[in-house]
Amino acid sequence: MSEIKLLSSDQATITVEKSVAERSILIKNMLEDVGEVTEAIPIPNVNENVLKKVIEWCEHHKGDPPAQADDDSDSRKKSSDIDEWDQKFMQVDQEMLFEIILAANYLDIKPLLDVGCKTVANMIKGKSPEEIRKTFNIQNDFTPDEEEQIRRENEWAEDR
Amino acid sequence: MARKSMPLSIAPVPLDAGYVIVDQNSTSNSSSSSSPERFTNDAGPDCFLSNPDDSHSSIAELTDFRNMTVSPIEKMASLRKPHPHQQQQQPLSPVNRLPPELLIAIFSKITSLVVLKTCMLVSRQWADCSVELLWHRPHFGEFTKYEAMVAAIQDENAFYKYSQLIKRLNLTPISAKANDGSMKPLGLCTKLERLTLTNCVNLTDSPLVEILAGNPRIQALDMSQLYNISDLSINVVAQNCPRLQGLNVAGCKRITDASMVPLSENCKFLRRLKLNDCNLLTNSTVISLAENCPQLLEVDLHKCHNITDESVLHMFNQLRQLRELRLAYCDLLTDDAFLKLPNRTYELLRILDLTGCRLLTDQSVGKIVGIAPRLRNLILAKCENITDRAVTHSITKLGKNLHYLHLGHCQHLTDRAVQALVRYCNRIRYIDLACCTLLTDQAVCYLAGLPKLRRIGLVKCHQITDYAIQTLVRRTNDLPCPLERVHLSYCTNLTVNGIHDLIKSCERLTHLSLTGVDVFYSRKDFTQFCRPPPEEFNEHQREVFCVFSGSGVDKLRRYLSAQQAANSATANTAGGNPLAFYNDEDDDTQEMEEDGEAGTDGVED
Repeated sequence: MSEIKLLSSDQATITVEKSVAERSILIKNMLEDVGEVTEAIPIPNVNENVLKKVIEWCEHHKGDPPAQADDDSDSRKKSSDIDEWDQKFMQVDQEMLFEIILAANYLDIKPLLDVGCKTVANMIKGKSPEEIRKTFNIQNDFTPDEEEQIRRENEWAEDR
Repeated sequence: MARKSMPLSIAPVPLDAGYVIVDQNSTSNSSSSSSPERFTNDAGPDCFLSNPDDSHSSIAELTDFRNMTVSPIEKMASLRKPHPHQQQQQPLSPVNRLPPELLIAIFSKITSLVVLKTCMLVSRQWADCSVELLWHRPHFGEFTKYEAMVAAIQDENAFYKYSQLIKRLNLTPISAKANDGSMKPLGLCTKLERLTLTNCVNLTDSPLVEILAGNPRIQALDMSQLYNISDLSINVVAQNCPRLQGLNVAGCKRITDASMVPLSENCKFLRRLKLNDCNLLTNSTVISLAENCPQLLEVDLHKCHNITDESVLHMFNQLRQLRELRLAYCDLLTDDAFLKLPNRTYELLRILDLTGCRLLTDQSVGKIVGIAPRLRNLILAKCENITDRAVTHSITKLGKNLHYLHLGHCQHLTDRAVQALVRYCNRIRYIDLACCTLLTDQAVCYLAGLPKLRRIGLVKCHQITDYAIQTLVRRTNDLPCPLERVHLSYCTNLTVNGIHDLIKSCERLTHLSLTGVDVFYSRKDFTQFCRPPPEEFNEHQREVFCVFSGSGVDKLRRYLSAQQAANSATANTAGGNPLAFYNDEDDDTQEMEEDGEAGTDGVED
């Protein structure tokens, strides 16, 4: 079983099984283009900590069946439905959580991106706007009038 | 190093970022093009072809952030009213590092409109990224909410130009209150892709003409039961909606060939079409559809009484994709409609409904099975000329493909037909043999051999006795009885014992109709578990009505078991198994009609 090396943004070299790294469509396509590589592949947008975490996920999921092309519509429906291992995996601080999402997007690992997005979506549910701002440290940049306007204009929205 | 796929590029962000200036209007995606939308209004059929399946929703387009040509911030900013202070100091907390595309990806995991509404109130960026999801498919259970939404799209000073965000609209939940006046403001929406107006019976052409003229992207249009609309509306669709793939005008009885022929000529991508009860339509419409809309998959011409053999021949000759063809009560059809077809096969045809095509004979059935060997649903109810031969020589050839067979009112059928059917078509899940009055207990004993049978209709098979029912539920193997819906109305020889056996042995039972079976309908202690009779029933029909469904079945089961226990000291009282109940919402109207119809017949009897 062949291995490849990845070079993180902070210059750490990480050795990983090729089939695991190929959960990343970005890496998979790179490898297909260049064939055999001996030197480490630079992953300029992801630091060592995050890269290790992403690889941990890829290792756990290396046996997963390839995602269906039209999986998107299904996964969107059930946002709370995250498998138990993934839930635990995502129990990290916000810093790491959003880094994983960014890395999953950059490395093109759709199922990991999905899990990350679902995790954040679940953190949003059940909170008031103020609670959400507090949770994520977001500044309210609406004027009180604007806030009231948006509230009024979207007042119709209710759940099915 | 060359790459095949280029995911969204993200500028590296220092991990120790503290407070930085965030320009709200700057785009994080440098690849933005000047094209404001992926599809433009004047997009021709080529553009449309790139997305030929209407199951592709535009929300997928929206959330497919990798392909986005314009950052949503930029896009939303164009729909948003100007913001007085453009720059602000914001702490760059982790969530703020996400580009809008990823924020949208997160919001797209939220299905609750209430939660999305909350997201809109968090900050400008959050509003920009959630507004499109919130307005993509508005939903309202009450008319007042619809009015509130309309007020927002009409307000020129609104925070966003909401009218441009609505892609799908379903007014069915407020259909009773929707009228021309309340619909008129929807003319402001010009990006609609799906419009569902089922049962908005008060609507007339006037608001529809305006709305349809302004929405060239419409792919799915449901105007069923809008019986006031005329060719005017349909002509506007024909002229303005070239992308139309699904059209339901069931019950729009005023529609004629004068609009449907132009529609078929201009809406060449039609795939699903329901013209039920549009009985002014003639062969001209059907022939034009066959010639112009090669992608038609599903066609329903229920009660289009003017349709003749010529229409059927044209459809089969030209529509090679047909999956579902419904010709119920097209009562002019003769055997020629099928016998004159060339001998080529239609591998895709799965559903054929010929209810009430009374002139058809065994010859048609033979030809149909020959050209459509993969039929899954075959409906020959009220094809009264059908005999055992159609079953034994033809239908049996469908073998394992056949799942659903309706032979109600085919009164010539005998036990022999059922025997052959069970032998060759053992995957049948649904069978209706209502009013096949020659059938005896023997037929039901054969049906017991169908391992997947979930629904059985034996209404008015009056020769049937408890013995048949007991055989039906006693399986040779240990598997649970698969029956879910059992129709035994007017099987007047049945007794309480037989039914108790049925209800005890079939844990999955969710529907049991015993209308007209006097040992049941005359017992108040049983009928207390019935569902109420339909409102349009007369006194006699109400008296004999006896249908148990959902939890009513469970209650009856427990009651019967308790009674049995009381009557016999040695009886085991553990009859009432704790059951997982199935939702009874799937009650198809066809079954309701059957029970109702049987009730009507009962009056005549």
